[in-house]
Amino acid sequence: MSIEKQRALALSLTSKVLPNDKLVSYLWVMPLVLGFGVWELVTRLNLIPRSNLPTFSGVLAVLFSSVQEQAFLLRIAHSFVNLTFGIVFAFSLALPMAFIAGSRNRFDSTVTPLIMLFGALPDLSFLPLLVLWFGPGNIAAITMASLAAFFPIYFTVREGTKNIPRELFDVTSIFKSDRLSTFTKMVLPAISPHMFSGLRLAYDFDWEIIIAIEIAARVAGIGSFIDSTVSAGSLETGFAAILAIAIVAVLVDRLFFGSLESWARKWA
Amino acid sequence: MAHVELEGVTKFYDVQEKRMHALHEVSFGIDRGEFVCIVGPSGCGKSTLLKIMAGIDAPSSGEVRFEGGPVLGPHPRISMVFQAFGLFPWRTVLENVEYGLEMRKIPKKERRVVSREYVEMVGLAGYEQMYPKQLSGGMKQRVGIARALAVEPDVVLMDEAFSAIDEVTADILREEVADIHKETGKTFVLVTHNLFEAIELADKIVVLSSRPAKVKSIYPVKLERPRDRTHSTFIHMHKDILHLLKEELENTIVRHKLKGIRELHMLHDMEASPKSEALRRTVTVT
Repeated sequence: MSIEKQRALALSLTSKVLPNDKLVSYLWVMPLVLGFGVWELVTRLNLIPRSNLPTFSGVLAVLFSSVQEQAFLLRIAHSFVNLTFGIVFAFSLALPMAFIAGSRNRFDSTVTPLIMLFGALPDLSFLPLLVLWFGPGNIAAITMASLAAFFPIYFTVREGTKNIPRELFDVTSIFKSDRLSTFTKMVLPAISPHMFSGLRLAYDFDWEIIIAIEIAARVAGIGSFIDSTVSAGSLETGFAAILAIAIVAVLVDRLFFGSLESWARKWA
Repeated sequence: MAHVELEGVTKFYDVQEKRMHALHEVSFGIDRGEFVCIVGPSGCGKSTLLKIMAGIDAPSSGEVRFEGGPVLGPHPRISMVFQAFGLFPWRTVLENVEYGLEMRKIPKKERRVVSREYVEMVGLAGYEQMYPKQLSGGMKQRVGIARALAVEPDVVLMDEAFSAIDEVTADILREEVADIHKETGKTFVLVTHNLFEAIELADKIVVLSSRPAKVKSIYPVKLERPRDRTHSTFIHMHKDILHLLKEELENTIVRHKLKGIRELHMLHDMEASPKSEALRRTVTVT
């Protein structure tokens, strides 16, 4: 067989075995659909009693009708807003502190060990106290969410600041950059890849925290909704709410953090 | 009056409660349009000296004068090229070159035009929209050079500007820098540990001693350009300066035994085969 023929054969084989990149990035849909299919099957065949697990199609039906109800959407929005406030507060405190810790050794060795100690405590252990002080409302939820979001943001930004090459500071000095533009045009972009992953961690983390608070302290939101519907035996509604959270969480993650990270990937 | 003058520049550092004497009474002058190379044993404070000349580090005593006036901070007509290029990875080639002009509040349109000129000058036309990570080391340093030149300085300071680039590329870049020097008539100061590089580029070589660095000797280089590394005067000058630096290293060895001996071995290896290609690469008098 000639070399050309061999090459043509090899090409045709590989093109059959290896799908193109576009398809590869959607491969995750397959196991997902499969999972839902198995779910539907085991409930249809009554392998798992309906009182423990509703059918997938039933959950979907409830989800479709729920998203048309304002009350349902407001509950999700409520949780989301509390979470966002939590991250915004944590960010506005953690960013300057982490930047100073990353650039000033004395501050770092005074403050960071304390923050580490504090961070080692399970955040939710403060919940009863927060509820005692602020009542089981938004303030407790937002405080808790800020607390939980603080650590990932603080440590990633601090690390990012420490990683800025000294030479870049010399560059800003040579070209007489003022303090503000040094921060906005050099430090901020330089730490942004670290900062983005810190924010993303904080966001993922805070969904758990917010839902936990809502369930444990009966703070209004989608978490307490799941709790009450499941206790009332309406499992389909509970599952529909969980699916709704998943959709919101993933969408925000993809659209917001995804675009930030794809900006960073261009150059980092 | 010299273009740039150093007078009694002395520098102390406080590193963990210990006082380090980096520079001791360094004085020399640089004429307008002169290409000066500063060589010295590694860690002797060459880069510190350059930073003081740039006004981004202050001497403990003594002063640097530019056109007669003391340099008390970064000067708009003194620019710098960095060893690790000092590029902002999130900025494209063009945006990096623009940076200095941006800090001077030059309107966007104008700085675009100026930076394009300099991007072309360093041979990067067509690469304007690339990010540093897409460029080779040599290309990155071209960006660094374009950025330094874009602010139209009178003095260009270069800190080991060719040492992070592969030797073949560095060779080409050195030739281009020599051309830019010739065409623009700007004053260039290059800190280097590469003696070949120094002799190839310099009008004058300032040899520093080991820490605390003093001016050990000043060599005018009168060879015709472009310079030939195999020329006998070139080789002699290289030998002389290497000898000086070796003396300095031997002094260091008395102070830091093991580290110094290792460096001395490297130096002997280099001397053993002066014509090999390996030598060209490692003649680093580290």
